Amino acid sequence: MSSFAEHSTDYAVVESEPPEQLGRNLNTAGHLLASATAFFFLAFVFAYFYLRALNNAGLWRPRHVNPSLTLGTLAIVAVVASAVLIRLGLMDHRAGRRRQWRLKGWLALGLAGVAVALQIAEWATQGFGPADGGYASVYLGWTGLYAVFLLAVIYWIETLLATATRYRKIESGAPPAGHASGDSHRTGHDIHDPLSLVRPSLEALSFYWAFLAGIGVLTWFILYIL
Amino acid sequence: MAAAAPSTRAARDPSHGRRLIGAWILLSVILTPIVVWLAGKVIPPGNKTHQASEQVFDNQWIVAVSTPVALLMIAFFLYTLIVFRARDGELRDGPPIRGDARIQITWIVITSAAVLTLAVFGTYELLQNGAGGGQGPDPVAVPSGSKLPVQVIGQQWEFTYRYPTYGGLETPHLVLPADRQIELHVTSLDAIHSFWAYELGVKADANPGVDNVAYVKLKSPTTFHIHCAELCGLWHGYMFDTGKVVSQSDFAAWIKQQQAQFQPVSQYLPRYARSYYPDPQRRAG
Amino acid sequence: MSANAAVPTPPRRRVVGYNLLTGLVLGVVGYYVGWWIGHHIHATSIGYFADTNQNDIAVFLGYFLSVVGFLAGLGFLSYPWARVRGYPPSLREKETAGVARYFGLCTDHKVVGIQYLIGIGVFFFIGGLNAMLIRFELLRPGGQAFPAGNYLTLVGLHGTMMMGIMSSAILGPFANYVVPLMIGARRMAFPRIEALTFWLLMAAGTLLATTIFFGGFPTGWTGYEPLNDQANSGMDSYIVFFGLVGISMLLLGLNMIATIVTMRAPGLTWSRLPIFCWGVISTASLMLLASPVLIAALLMATLDRTAQTSFFIPSAGGSTYLYQNLFWVFGHPEVYILALPGFAVVLELLPVFARKPLWGYRLAVAGMLGVTLLSWLVWQHHLFVSGINGDLRPFYMLSTELISIPTGFTFLCGMMTLWRGRIRYTVPMLFCLAWFFNFLIGGLSGVFLSDVPSDVTTHGSFFSMAHFHYTIMGGLVFTFFAAIYYWIPKMTGFQLNDRLGKIHFWTMFIAFNSTFAPLFAIGFMGQPRRVVTYPSHLQFLNDWVSVSAFVLGASMLVFLANFVWSLVFARVPAPRNPWGSRSLEWQLPSPVPVHNFDKIPVFTDDPYGYGDDDGRVPAVVPVGAPAGGGS
Repeated sequence: MSSFAEHSTDYAVVESEPPEQLGRNLNTAGHLLASATAFFFLAFVFAYFYLRALNNAGLWRPRHVNPSLTLGTLAIVAVVASAVLIRLGLMDHRAGRRRQWRLKGWLALGLAGVAVALQIAEWATQGFGPADGGYASVYLGWTGLYAVFLLAVIYWIETLLATATRYRKIESGAPPAGHASGDSHRTGHDIHDPLSLVRPSLEALSFYWAFLAGIGVLTWFILYIL
Repeated sequence: MAAAAPSTRAARDPSHGRRLIGAWILLSVILTPIVVWLAGKVIPPGNKTHQASEQVFDNQWIVAVSTPVALLMIAFFLYTLIVFRARDGELRDGPPIRGDARIQITWIVITSAAVLTLAVFGTYELLQNGAGGGQGPDPVAVPSGSKLPVQVIGQQWEFTYRYPTYGGLETPHLVLPADRQIELHVTSLDAIHSFWAYELGVKADANPGVDNVAYVKLKSPTTFHIHCAELCGLWHGYMFDTGKVVSQSDFAAWIKQQQAQFQPVSQYLPRYARSYYPDPQRRAG
Repeated sequence: MSANAAVPTPPRRRVVGYNLLTGLVLGVVGYYVGWWIGHHIHATSIGYFADTNQNDIAVFLGYFLSVVGFLAGLGFLSYPWARVRGYPPSLREKETAGVARYFGLCTDHKVVGIQYLIGIGVFFFIGGLNAMLIRFELLRPGGQAFPAGNYLTLVGLHGTMMMGIMSSAILGPFANYVVPLMIGARRMAFPRIEALTFWLLMAAGTLLATTIFFGGFPTGWTGYEPLNDQANSGMDSYIVFFGLVGISMLLLGLNMIATIVTMRAPGLTWSRLPIFCWGVISTASLMLLASPVLIAALLMATLDRTAQTSFFIPSAGGSTYLYQNLFWVFGHPEVYILALPGFAVVLELLPVFARKPLWGYRLAVAGMLGVTLLSWLVWQHHLFVSGINGDLRPFYMLSTELISIPTGFTFLCGMMTLWRGRIRYTVPMLFCLAWFFNFLIGGLSGVFLSDVPSDVTTHGSFFSMAHFHYTIMGGLVFTFFAAIYYWIPKMTGFQLNDRLGKIHFWTMFIAFNSTFAPLFAIGFMGQPRRVVTYPSHLQFLNDWVSVSAFVLGASMLVFLANFVWSLVFARVPAPRNPWGSRSLEWQLPSPVPVHNFDKIPVFTDDPYGYGDDDGRVPAVVPVGAPAGGGS
């Protein structure tokens, strides 16, 4: 196996990757992730209509199973507003208004957090539990797992803002990257500019977050309105 | 092509295709009827009910279509693997043929025709009288004539049977009258089971809370084997029994005897229903 | 200068490094932390059993934190942690570190490929051992070796291990290794996710094996409700296993599609893409879209088992059909996740050994995409007698039988590639030819199962078991070995012994058919699947099958001996291109250098130009060309 180690890379010889590669990858991945997300929630859409149509043992939705429309609506409004802010932030970023983008980004992050908090408040105050029939099961499973997706998006937004904030003083396109961990085998050769990470990731995030917000609206419509 | 080496030209000899097709057609014409006839003899579930006979007939159709397919493959590979093998020391490439629209279209047409034949015939057989399969609570293929309803209740780990027309009598063994059309209502009290009466050609899953209907038209008196065909927990492998088809008079006598025997138990049974919702199956610890 | 100030200084070296050992230690610690926390969760609906040995919440939390600890020990958390703090990541980790990189997070796609091969091999061996034990039990009609519960656990472990782990059997080792080489890329689109998919799979397999500490699980690989809900906490291992496999498959699929879409070298148009890559795209798209449905269904089952929801409890407003539907919406694409890579390997290898271009390239692609599409429309054929949607059965019968049309495209393209070729009977070629035989039988027996009247008898019997072993073992495992014999010289730089390879092939091929062909008869004669007892008149056939299965198992030992002997002891260096292939990966040195290509190649042709006069390779590296991008 030692012969593997003999092939070390001489980065003076090997040409570097085209700079737009990361953006293309992230853009594709964002769309693929959105399609996977759609299939994930399709399972819940299916469960909702299936159990509702069957109404086994008459226990689809006992009378007291009635989540708060107000809190649910507020949570989804926060989600949609956050997605819109990220989109506006992206337009700022494209136009080079880095400060404005960060401001909108932090607001969007806060709103996504508010959405999760509202969802938790709703679970804490509702008058029914998971064992109260088909609707209660679908409602808690769906909203709960949607909240997990929200947390993932919050992480995503935070990483972009952290990078953008940490390097807010430097000009885009100049500095070399450093070692983020103590692993001596890591090389930063692929990333010459940490700020170059933000834009493609933001583009992908903007699409994915809008898509997830759309799923949120669908969730709201099915669970509260239908 | 004119520049090709002599051996290449030999490999392009068009008679290869004709030879192969000829051999295939000859083999198919001879062997297919034999295989179909043999299949009619040996393919289960046999001949003891109308549904079973129909399944055998359906299987013969499938065999009739798939035998030529199999023969084509066998003939092709025997021919190709022998004739077109690389001779010792020969490391040259074959002819750069990248496709042939006629062959592709022929292939697509023939496979589509075979597939559609099978699907149409299968649908026809299915809609005749359900082919003995479980059809759910709203059966689409309902045989005409009067039917004797029998309920099959799966539970871990045995089947019991209720006869709603005989006061909801429940028995641990299945006995059916000969020459009758039977309407089986299969349901479960706990996990999913599958009621498989092998010689009758009947299989229907037993789902809790679901009334799964299957039809079978019996012939003369016989015995048949019952298995659970869906993994239902610990003793799934032991969930089997032997059932009987008896003459009409024997059946009436048997019912009387059973009613008397189970009278002390029957009075505590729930009323006959299409399904029974037990308490939720939660673990006790 | 101010720019340099922004660069963080590297932290001190850690006392304990990120590697497999750290991962295992943290995994065990994580399990007990989760177990402890789980016993301190109280709520009205779960208080009933919170302090018993059947505390599923504690088991799930234990497994969850175990996986987190395992990944943390491997170093997967340093990336998200760096990102949270706003530091840029490296795209590559441990790519030049010698042997140690095989035991940890490594982002070199070639290392991940070899990790996958060994890791999947280990679990394939365990799954196969379970099969041997099952066949040992079935030597006699009555119960003899194992109690009924242990027997069911063996059946479940065999099925689940094989379905879950072997889903990545081609895409994990071989697509990870060769797809970047075939398309002229230096890496996968997401190297860290690539490594994650592998380690998730290893964590999954290990956790599944721990089910024996919780009494096993009784459901087989399908995990049907409500048996699933009844079962004791051994069931949790099954759920966690398939959940992790689902995440692993999803990410693997996403990574594969993204790589092939975005990282193709210039000139590699879609119509020049190697057919193997098309197979990978088909499989990956099924992985990407089917896995989420599985994960969702398993999360519902988890909620039923822990939070006492009632998704699948009919007496409390749920439905058992809901699980069956969701499971098979995943499950049928899943069986094509297993089968399609086999198509891809066969079509990729046939031109090399028949010395002819791939015949009907577009038809082959259409066949794979057709199978991919149709596989979404057939799932209720698993439920023909379940009482679900009786009126839809003709549709599912038709759609199921329609799948044989695109499958037939693959057959036609393969057969016509052989026609008039110069067939060389190398070991990989023998395995590919065996695929035709096995898949033909698997496909024809599938017609019986797809046809409702015939399915009434064959459904749930050994017939269907024989059918899917012919398609999956005959279709996937044979091509898995074809791929091993074909690509190992490239991956390791050493040749596998040809004579042992042929002995392996012939014993495996004959024993395989001798094992599974009689099972069709056994099924037709009325033996249901997954039973521990059977009628005594079936003993002769069952014994025949068992003995054949032991020979089949022994043939795997021949392979193992070959593998170890050739790679550890004999070490005969492989030439750069032992098969005379025109595909790009064979134009690189064996083994491939870390950076694959000094300059990104430019494609001028597809890799199937056999018989063209000039013998040129499909891609040229332009001297002094600018940095290449995708086409």
